[in-house]
Amino acid sequence: MIVTTQKPLDEILDSISPYSNILIAGCDGCTQPPRGIREAKTLSQLLDLGGRLRDKNFVFKVATVVKQCDSFLAASALKPQVDGVEAVLSLACGAGVQTVAELFPDLPVLPAQNTHFIGVEDREGGILEERCAACGDCLLARMGGICPVTRCAKGLLNGACGGARNGKCEMDPARDCAWELIFQRLDKQDKLDLLKEFRPPRNYQLRAWRLTP
Amino acid sequence: MSQQVTEHRVALKLNEEYCSSCSICCSLCPFEAIKKDAETGNTFLEIEKCQVCGICYSACPAKAIDTIYYDSGSLIKYLERAKQEYDSDTLVIMCKGSAPDFVGIERLFGVSKFVPLSVPCVGRISEELFLKAIAMGIEEIYVLACDQNYCRFERGSPVTGRRILALNLLLEQLGYGREVITLKRHSLKVKADRDLCIGCGNCAFYCPYQAVKLDSPGVANFNLDSCRGCGLCVAICPAMALELENWERERISTLISRLSSEMEQPKILVFRCQWAVFPPLDGEFSPNICAIDLPCAARVDAFHILEAFQKGVDGVLIAACPEEDCKLERGSGRAQHSVAVLRERLNQIGFEDRLHFCSVAPRYPEEFDRELRQFSQRIEAICSKRERK
Repeated sequence: MIVTTQKPLDEILDSISPYSNILIAGCDGCTQPPRGIREAKTLSQLLDLGGRLRDKNFVFKVATVVKQCDSFLAASALKPQVDGVEAVLSLACGAGVQTVAELFPDLPVLPAQNTHFIGVEDREGGILEERCAACGDCLLARMGGICPVTRCAKGLLNGACGGARNGKCEMDPARDCAWELIFQRLDKQDKLDLLKEFRPPRNYQLRAWRLTP
Repeated sequence: MSQQVTEHRVALKLNEEYCSSCSICCSLCPFEAIKKDAETGNTFLEIEKCQVCGICYSACPAKAIDTIYYDSGSLIKYLERAKQEYDSDTLVIMCKGSAPDFVGIERLFGVSKFVPLSVPCVGRISEELFLKAIAMGIEEIYVLACDQNYCRFERGSPVTGRRILALNLLLEQLGYGREVITLKRHSLKVKADRDLCIGCGNCAFYCPYQAVKLDSPGVANFNLDSCRGCGLCVAICPAMALELENWERERISTLISRLSSEMEQPKILVFRCQWAVFPPLDGEFSPNICAIDLPCAARVDAFHILEAFQKGVDGVLIAACPEEDCKLERGSGRAQHSVAVLRERLNQIGFEDRLHFCSVAPRYPEEFDRELRQFSQRIEAICSKRERK
C-alpha cells in the first residue's frame, strides 16, 4: 500500500486558514487504516475546534472516495459536493491530491497527509516499512522475494557489500542487511546458485513516467 | 497517587461472625475471589479478584456478605418509590449488559408501562427480592438477562435462570398463578451495513473474538454467535459501517446534545464503562456532571468525544476498568490507546488539557470519586482562567 502519515494539525490549520468553506475528501483505498469517512469527520471536528481557538469559523463538508487517485471515481464522488466550496482538503496520497487538483482547476486542493513510500505495515508492531521502489524492473523472483532496491541501504543489485555486522546494515544498525536476508532465504529454498548470476546496472528508463495500459 | 496507602473502602465484605462456612459463595463466584481455607475451613474474600457482580451476596443464606451497591435494603427502597413514580404493577429487571436503557423493552416483553430496575448483572437479585416485590403488590415480573455465554460475570445469567425456575414453581404452589416471572435473554451485538463496508479488514484484525472475517470480495462478515458486543470494531471502523445495538451513534449523539444543553457550567461529561463504575440507584452527580454508559470502554469513540467538545462540554472523563479487570478482551487497553492518540491530536491544535482517561474498579468506589473530583477541579481551574482572560 501507499504509506502516508497525517500532517501535524497546526500545519493543516495554517494551510486552510485563508478559506472558510472547505470540503474534506477522504480516500478509502491503500492506507491502513483507510482515511475514509471516519477520518474525514474526525478531522473536521478537530479543525473546527482548532479554528475556534483561532477565532475562525470553518464550515466543513465531508465526503469520501473509494480510490481518490482514480479520476473517474474521484469525479463521481466529489463533483456533487463542491458547490460553494472554497478549498478541498484531501486525505489521500500525493497521487490522490493531484487527481482532485486536476479535477477542480479553480479550487486550491490541499494535502492533509505526507506521502512516504510503497510499503507494508507490521500491524502487531505498528511499524511501516518501505518494500517497493516502483523501479519498473522487478527482481524479486531471483532475490527470494526480498527487494534489494528498497531494503539494501545502498540499493546494491550484486550484494552483499561486506559491511554488515551481525546481520545489520553498516549504515543503520537498526536495519537488517537485505543481502543477508536474501542469502538466507535462497539457502532455505536451495537456490543459492541464483546469486552467481551477475545483475547489470539498473536501467532507470524502465521506471517510466507515463505508460499506456 | 498510587503510592498513597490509605484504608480503601471496599464494595464487598464478608462478615465472619455470620458466616456458616456453607461454601455456596465459593462455588458461585465466577472469579475465585471467595475461597475456603483448606486448613481452618473458614471462608475468605480476596477483594483484588472480586468484580462485585453480587452473585455471592444474593446467594448467601446466612446474609454474611455486605455490599454497598444495590443491596436488598436500597433495592426495596427504590422499588417502593419507583412503584409510585411509574404507577405500575409490572416490574422489569434488566441487566445493563443487555439493556443500557429502556429501549426495546416494549418490543421484547409487550409491556409499555412498567417499573424499571436496571442493575449490572441480574445475578445479584436474590429470591428474597423477587418475593418482596410480589409482596409489595407487583403482579408480573419480567427479567431481561444476557445470553448465558454473553454474561459479563459468567454465572449471572445461568444463576438467574435457575432462580426463576424455582421461584415460579413456588409462586404457583402458593397460588400466585403460573409463570409470574418471565425471563428473556438478549445480547446486544454488532450490526454491519455491508453497503458501507470498504473491506479494509480492521474489524477482522482487531476483533478479540474472531467474530468477523473478510468475505471475498472484501466485505466484513460477522458471526454474531462469537460477537461479545464490546464495540471495539464500531469505534475503529474507518467507514463507520458498524453499529452496536442500543449504542447506535445517533443515539449517543442525541444523548450528548441533550445532556450538554442541560448541564450547568463547567460541563463535565463522563464516558464510563458500565463495569468500571456502578452508579447508585438514585440521582447521581452535581448538576454540572453527566455520564454516558458504554458497553465496554472499547466503544469509546473519538467522534463522540470531539462532538461533546464541539457542543460546549468543558471536560471529558473516560472511566475504564483496569486492564486486568476488563470483562472483555483488550477493551480497556484499546480505549486508553485511542484516548492517547486523540489527546495528542488535540494538543496539536492547541486545545487545553480537558480530556482525561482513568482506570477504576467498582470494588474501590472511592477510586472513581477521587478521579472525578480531581478532574472537576482541573476543569474548574481551566474555565476560571479562561474567564479571567
